[in-house]
Amino acid sequence: MFHPRMPRGSRAAILMMTELAAWLAAPVARAVPSFARQTGMACEACHTVFPELTHFGRMFKANGYNIDNLKPVRGITATKEEMLALSGLPPISLMVQVSQTNLSKNLPEGTDLGTSQSGTVAFPQQISLFYAGKIAPGVGSFIQLTYGNDSGSVGIDNVDLRWADNRLLADDRSLVYGIDANNNPTVQDLWNSTPAFGYPYASSNAAVPAIAGTQIDGTLGQDVAGLSVYVMWNEALYAEFGVYRSAKQGAANTVTGEAGPLDGGTSNVLTGAAPYYRLAYEYQWGRNSLSAGIYGATFKLLPGGEPDAPQPLNGPSNEFKDNAFDFQYQYIGEKHILTMAGTRIKEDMTLNASYAAGDAENLTDSLTTSRLYATYYYLRKYGGTLGIFSTTGSHDAGLYPLGDPPGLVTSGNGMPDTKGWSAEFDYMPWLNTRLSVQATQYSKFNGAGNNYDGYGRNAADNDSLYFLVWFNY
Amino acid sequence: MKSHYLVAGLIATLGAATPGRTDEISALTRLAAQHVAVNTCASCHGRQGRSIAPKFPVLAGQHAGYLAAQLHAFKAQTRGDPDALGYMWGMSAPLDDEMINGLAAYYAAQRPGPGTQGDAALIARGADIYAKGIAAEGIPPCASCHGANGAGTDQFPRLAGQHAQYLLKQLRSFQSNLRDMAVMHGVAQGMALGEMEAVAAYLESLSGA
Repeated sequence: MFHPRMPRGSRAAILMMTELAAWLAAPVARAVPSFARQTGMACEACHTVFPELTHFGRMFKANGYNIDNLKPVRGITATKEEMLALSGLPPISLMVQVSQTNLSKNLPEGTDLGTSQSGTVAFPQQISLFYAGKIAPGVGSFIQLTYGNDSGSVGIDNVDLRWADNRLLADDRSLVYGIDANNNPTVQDLWNSTPAFGYPYASSNAAVPAIAGTQIDGTLGQDVAGLSVYVMWNEALYAEFGVYRSAKQGAANTVTGEAGPLDGGTSNVLTGAAPYYRLAYEYQWGRNSLSAGIYGATFKLLPGGEPDAPQPLNGPSNEFKDNAFDFQYQYIGEKHILTMAGTRIKEDMTLNASYAAGDAENLTDSLTTSRLYATYYYLRKYGGTLGIFSTTGSHDAGLYPLGDPPGLVTSGNGMPDTKGWSAEFDYMPWLNTRLSVQATQYSKFNGAGNNYDGYGRNAADNDSLYFLVWFNY
Repeated sequence: MKSHYLVAGLIATLGAATPGRTDEISALTRLAAQHVAVNTCASCHGRQGRSIAPKFPVLAGQHAGYLAAQLHAFKAQTRGDPDALGYMWGMSAPLDDEMINGLAAYYAAQRPGPGTQGDAALIARGADIYAKGIAAEGIPPCASCHGANGAGTDQFPRLAGQHAQYLLKQLRSFQSNLRDMAVMHGVAQGMALGEMEAVAAYLESLSGA
């Protein structure tokens, strides 16, 4: 994630940190017991181990979260058209994450006073309230409200609202089609190889965030609203097309003080409608399934400014063309479960606004993020994941500036490159409870291994060990 | 999961068919059941009841009476093997008698798939146990109820072409009484794991067609 219009200096770094922290607090993924209560099915019907979906879980999502074994409150017309099918119990769930993060080296102090704390206990890191289930015939929701320890407040989190229906085709093939509204590109997707529901499913919000990330890779989550249409043929071929518009949360017009059209005190505002596409195919054999697909979007962002340094929200914009491919393999046996998944996102930027303003060195830049992971579980109880990640891109000291001391989320050489690996060990005493330890190591961070930020910090100093207790009920 | 239940409900209201008599199922019920089968059941049990993953039983060509009895047992929560609890108690809860009969008829009418060949020695041993039983261990021949070719009857399920993994899990569930059924408990009680595996491999190898 980066901000092309970010002013330079320590304030920039702080702003960047704040926004990055807010972004990282944006949760990644969730499995929801209210779905289990609604369907009467155990977690394993829809998940290998939460939040990773099985084929049935994918179809449950595509069908609008509508399978229901609870007695509904019903309303019908004289012609027996179903006008209301309200769930007998509200589909409410709670998620609690408690964590501790240890960094390889303390963070630098922002001022001349004191020494920073070496570890972060988060109690909670996050508490989320979900309304996840059927709303009406064919209509379902996944709405998440989250309290985060970094913001210290409750805010809207991932939202996925959908309507779906299905048809019988010749030779007993199925066609599912629907309309989806969501606030985070790929949160509506059915596979765990795309950003919103990909590994890592939970990560520390106290670790140091990298300076660069592609827009579709969670950067715009909760800042946009998307409307898309999708079809799934024969439970195998999936196609979706939609558009995203700006829908910033917590941003008020500085003149009126109320919500409404955004003004130049807001940064990185999506302008126009950003097209989003997704095409995927899933093949199943025996206990295996393999899917592969492409997805992407083109976002045009107005750099804007900050409340105390507004910039007009018009004129040239920065265009980000994100195109990605992904794959996912699952083996679901009685004892052994193996998943491998990966994605590669290529972002081509045309920075008309930032280049003209001198905030980018190049008119065009590119950024590529790749992730690959493998997860193994034994008896859905003991498991682990190994993952590698890499972000590489063009040299641009405007986008990835040296900044002022104490550095940290800066780049000494104007490169965005961050590479490393993570390993996670999980123990699931119960299907809705996860205890995990996650280690992350970097070989490169914001462009270099040694003295990456220009102020003496090495990539390995950001290595982290993250302990997490995660309940869903 | 939506309009078809309404259709089914409508049929139930009109009393268009008699529970348990799949030969008297109306065209409307057949259509509603087909819709549910294709758009819900198929996610696990496969297109036309020929499941891909061995965790889920093949339903194609299964006898309607047996299928209806199982769906009723799931709904009444009297069939207690782990996957019944995890999946089918929930799935069967909203099914009324009409839909149960419609689904049973739908799957009974599908063409069973070909068998899957495995370890030849294991299959041969399984064939022997299936046909003759193991007198010394008090295990009766499976064929005496399920038929010489595993085709079953309305009361005893078709086993030919069924996934071995599924059959093995059921035998073990009968043995432990998780799936509570006196007759099969009696049969499975004395069976060793290797014997169960052999019978399951043999049955999986048989063509259901």
